[in-house]
Amino acid sequence: MGRLEFTDHDRLRDIVGLVERSDMARFVIDLSALEFIDSAGLGMLLILQEETETRNVRMIVQGAAGDVKRSIDLARLGEIITIAS
Amino acid sequence: MDAIRHDHTADPAFRSFSLLRDRVPADMAARVAARFGGTAGDEGDGPAVPAGHVAARMVEALLMGQASRDRLRAAFDLAPALMVELGEGADETAALLDDWSGAPAADLPNLPGFYLSLTTATAYGLQCPVLVCDELVRRGVLDPQRRSTVELCLHEAVANAIVHGNLGLSSAVKSEPGGYRRFSEMMRDRLGDPAVVRRRLDIFCRWNERGIAIAVVDQGGGFDAEATPAIAGNDARSGRGFVFMRTLASRVTVTDGGRCTVLQFDR
Repeated sequence: MGRLEFTDHDRLRDIVGLVERSDMARFVIDLSALEFIDSAGLGMLLILQEETETRNVRMIVQGAAGDVKRSIDLARLGEIITIAS
Repeated sequence: MDAIRHDHTADPAFRSFSLLRDRVPADMAARVAARFGGTAGDEGDGPAVPAGHVAARMVEALLMGQASRDRLRAAFDLAPALMVELGEGADETAALLDDWSGAPAADLPNLPGFYLSLTTATAYGLQCPVLVCDELVRRGVLDPQRRSTVELCLHEAVANAIVHGNLGLSSAVKSEPGGYRRFSEMMRDRLGDPAVVRRRLDIFCRWNERGIAIAVVDQGGGFDAEATPAIAGNDARSGRGFVFMRTLASRVTVTDGGRCTVLQFDR
């Protein structure tokens, strides 16, 4: 997965498409292979949270470590997204 | 960056350049040398040594038709003060009139630093903050332990300069329902506009024993720096980039009506 940043808005559209087409109850995003996330990438996680919420899908972000975890903590995303270790 | 500032005639010695070429047509390099009062040499032959110039006022510039990761790494190895991408396939006359000048480097050529000027087309997706931090670590300027902090701040400044500056996109659209789709489409439209992607992104690094300063300059419409949030709401779609910079850098200064962000870090 590598990086999630401002050049990845097209990928967000694909992921939302995936959520729209499925009938899942839980949507788990595993960030353990992610090395870098920027503020735009964090904004994408929030958009995914909103998109899943409106479809009654529970979104869980897990596996964030190192710099990715630092960015998530700095932005206090844990206050509105379920973050599992 | 103001080319005219560099092109002044009050002190011609400040205009002394030597040019290293990397796949730039000879006649184009010669015209750049003529414009900036320097001497052109071929990349690979070592820096050109012009006769009759005061060495302390010399600034070496490496021009490249189109930049890539490999070319920039190779350029860093030659350690010129300025690295300028002219843009491949660009109208040569227009490229010469582009607003790059390396003025800060030329004004104080004895201070350590480097200047990188890229087109938006290249800077988008190149991850130039990674390259810049690699180079700062390689030169022993940046402690590897602090690298990720500097890289994240520089990344945010570069992303702002590209997206909100040169591409002229506002994050406000992302707050609308389904706005991320519209934002994505607008970004693709702008990236397809040759006039827009020719706009420059300049990164200028300077350091001394106490600190590192990195300026990121774009050619967009600017913005009101006072309006950027000190703290972004945790559910906001945007505004976090400045919060990261202000939290992690020693100092963040925005000048030139929002077109220049200077990040400072203690060493």
